[in-house]
Amino acid sequence: MKYCRALSKTAGIVIAIIIIIGIVAGAYYYISHKQITTTKLITFVPLTGDFNKDIINIGKALEQDGVKTVQLSVWSGGDPNSVMRIYGVVEAAYRINNIWKQNNINVEIKVTTRYVSNPNDVYEDYINKWSLGQAPDIMANGYTYIASLASEGYILDLTPYLNNYTSFLNQFYPTLIDAMKWNGRIYGIPQDTEARPLYIRKDVAACAGLDLAGLAEKIKNGQFTWSDLYKWALKVKESGCAPWGLIHRKGSAHPDLIQFIYAFGGKLYDEKTGKLVFDKAAVYKWFVVEKTFADHGLLPHDMMSWDWAKQIHPTVVDGKTLAFIGGTWHWFEWQTKAYYTDPKTGQQRPLTAEEVHKFFYYTLFPSGIKGKPGLTLSQPFAWMINSKAGEQNPNYDKLKDLYHELVFLVVVKASDPDIVAIHSLISGHLPVTKTAAELIKNQTWVNELKNLKVKLDPEVLNNIKNIIEKTVNPLNVQFLANVTYMLEYTTFTPKHPQYPKLASLFADALDQVLRDKMTPAQAVNYIVEKINADPDLKKSVEIIGEIPQNWTFP
Amino acid sequence: MTREVSGDMTKSNLFSKIKDFIHSDAFIFLLPAIILIIVFYLIPIVVSVYMSFTPLKNWNIARYIHEFVGFENYWRFFYMVTHDPTVRPIFITTVVFILVTLAINVLGGLGLAIATFFMGEREASSTQLLWLLPRMTPIAVYSMIWYYFFHGSAIGTLNSILMSLGIIHKPIDWGQSIIPWGPWMIIIFVNGLVGVSYGMIVFTSAISNIPKELVIAARVDGASNWSITKNILIPLLKWHIVYVTTWQMLSLLTTYDHIFLLVEWGLVNRYYGTTWALYIYNMAFTAAEKDLGLAAAAGVILVIVGALLGLLALKILGFEKMVKEPRGDI
Repeated sequence: MKYCRALSKTAGIVIAIIIIIGIVAGAYYYISHKQITTTKLITFVPLTGDFNKDIINIGKALEQDGVKTVQLSVWSGGDPNSVMRIYGVVEAAYRINNIWKQNNINVEIKVTTRYVSNPNDVYEDYINKWSLGQAPDIMANGYTYIASLASEGYILDLTPYLNNYTSFLNQFYPTLIDAMKWNGRIYGIPQDTEARPLYIRKDVAACAGLDLAGLAEKIKNGQFTWSDLYKWALKVKESGCAPWGLIHRKGSAHPDLIQFIYAFGGKLYDEKTGKLVFDKAAVYKWFVVEKTFADHGLLPHDMMSWDWAKQIHPTVVDGKTLAFIGGTWHWFEWQTKAYYTDPKTGQQRPLTAEEVHKFFYYTLFPSGIKGKPGLTLSQPFAWMINSKAGEQNPNYDKLKDLYHELVFLVVVKASDPDIVAIHSLISGHLPVTKTAAELIKNQTWVNELKNLKVKLDPEVLNNIKNIIEKTVNPLNVQFLANVTYMLEYTTFTPKHPQYPKLASLFADALDQVLRDKMTPAQAVNYIVEKINADPDLKKSVEIIGEIPQNWTFP
Repeated sequence: MTREVSGDMTKSNLFSKIKDFIHSDAFIFLLPAIILIIVFYLIPIVVSVYMSFTPLKNWNIARYIHEFVGFENYWRFFYMVTHDPTVRPIFITTVVFILVTLAINVLGGLGLAIATFFMGEREASSTQLLWLLPRMTPIAVYSMIWYYFFHGSAIGTLNSILMSLGIIHKPIDWGQSIIPWGPWMIIIFVNGLVGVSYGMIVFTSAISNIPKELVIAARVDGASNWSITKNILIPLLKWHIVYVTTWQMLSLLTTYDHIFLLVEWGLVNRYYGTTWALYIYNMAFTAAEKDLGLAAAAGVILVIVGALLGLLALKILGFEKMVKEPRGDI
């Protein structure tokens, strides 16, 4: 009893404080000390721009330093067909290992992979684990993350490496390289890109007597706008050809709907000030269009909370809507996922390539303004290299630069035309290099791929053969060739760290409008209020324009 | 002069008490608990307070650990809370959510523990296992089950049952159209089911420690189950009721995982489905930049609010009276 009472409250607090100070001071010392010891740079090989020569020199340098195995990791995410975002690196490592073997260099790259359905989870894990040294060496993810990752120093500035690889850099479409830049420096290598076509059901259009001939051209020239699409959707509904006129994706931050802002001449980013832009007039018009569709039963009031697998895709592939705002990858996804209910058997199954071709017409996203060309939106994926790439390998302090060069060359190899082309053909994303785009047109090579005769790492081939069997065929190749022109009309979402917050407000406000909880004007003012309520957002967003008083739709 | 002497005496008294305590058996006995409390409770609080005065972002500790921004994160937090038009529904939702879910958790847990006490061993085990399932199921899977159950379209299990029974003719968007009761009902139901099992375990374990003779004697005297519950079990569970109530209240104040998914998937209304903890999470983590300084400031405020609520709960539940030494027992 005496001892139990021996510790007063004050004594307990003193003991606790001493222990806490000890632990915090220890952690502080560890972090500071670690910073100092990781700044020693010694070995590197000057890059010449000749891939084979450089990779052989790096292999020899590693071998001389006693490195036998280089462990690398790659993370990515996305739809199930886009797995080349990780296998591209596995394949590149396989090819480099072969080069080393042929040159009697006894070093091997081993790659571990992680692929999840949501790329944002990969980004969050990356930043959570970077300080712990557990982030991957390479990450394929959306270009929009470049700003925050580069500003924290989490990814490598690739500009000095690319200065020696200008011919490699020139293979890529210039707009994609621009998307990889932050503060004038290049932080990523384009991995894929896409367009977001407006899909129109041919059978539904035919049922309502709508003529699709030349529609893509009219949209391209701005002769067919959202007002016209509304009239078509109304006709479809009135004639009972489909219950819906328009279906789009759900949730927050999906860039598909942001196309409306551009379609009404609005903007989202000011290059001069580096600020995000909230264009009240354009956003108001977007909301009015969607509300008009919803009010006339052409678009579901609860569209923003529809279920992907059980509502959105089945509605589209079963022909229950005239139009769908989707992406190029959906063309392929519908061929691999069982969304379609077969009218004969009543069972759900994937569509065949022939059926997708038969059912869907595709075109640019229409403009909201007569005479203004249609558009699309791309969110290219980028290979990003960890600024601590190679850290888990031997002798990192000394060989840091060498490991960085090696990882850069792995990414260069992962951008080989056939790897890029395979990714495009199985996932429905558009090729990022001109050489890959040419390869896709090569019927002999496409046939070899279809028959699994291409030279690939057996592990990679084994992992993607099911997808290849389902997706590689002339109709899909034709589709990719046909949609590539859309990249000339493409737009991008801003690469600003605060953009996801703004996008989330758009989605939230649109949901309220569709559910009749807010008028379009109230929704615009609500977004303004929310921007002003957040000091960071307020600082980062320029609010422009006014709600138009006399504007009507259609 | 007198004060100095008194100060020295206090100091030497304090150190001798610490010394005595360190050399005592009590210290060895309490050491594991002390270490756990320091490592898992005190250090995180100290680190959070420290973080709340830094501009820490994106987990970049090495970069921001030396920078101090004073009370800026606290200012930003209060600025957002006072200017955000959606704070009011979120605040009301939090109060309703905590009170109702707490009642379900405590009373449900108590009811289940008592009910299983009167059951045969096999039935009791099966019932307890059944109620533990929500807690054992991974959060995403558990949330997904209820997402499809309450889904506002014909694919929702509840809608489909009600429609097939002819009770409703078209699907009801439970979480989005019946505002605020629909989203409240869903988040309370989903969290309530998980929380019940915690109370059930604590109360079951407490009941098993009640001397059997008391119950047997009551039975011999012809006491009914209700009478045994009212006069023996509940009075002897007073400590545990206080503990479970306080613990669950604090836990509900900070919980957001299931709710996050239900809001994110669009099942429930964003304002009347969001609680305070989720609001703070969204405030700090929605942007591509993860604003840990702001999150830490909000967390510190939450700790203060939690501590005050905890003290209030203990006061209301008569904790002080319970720990008072009984008079005249020595």
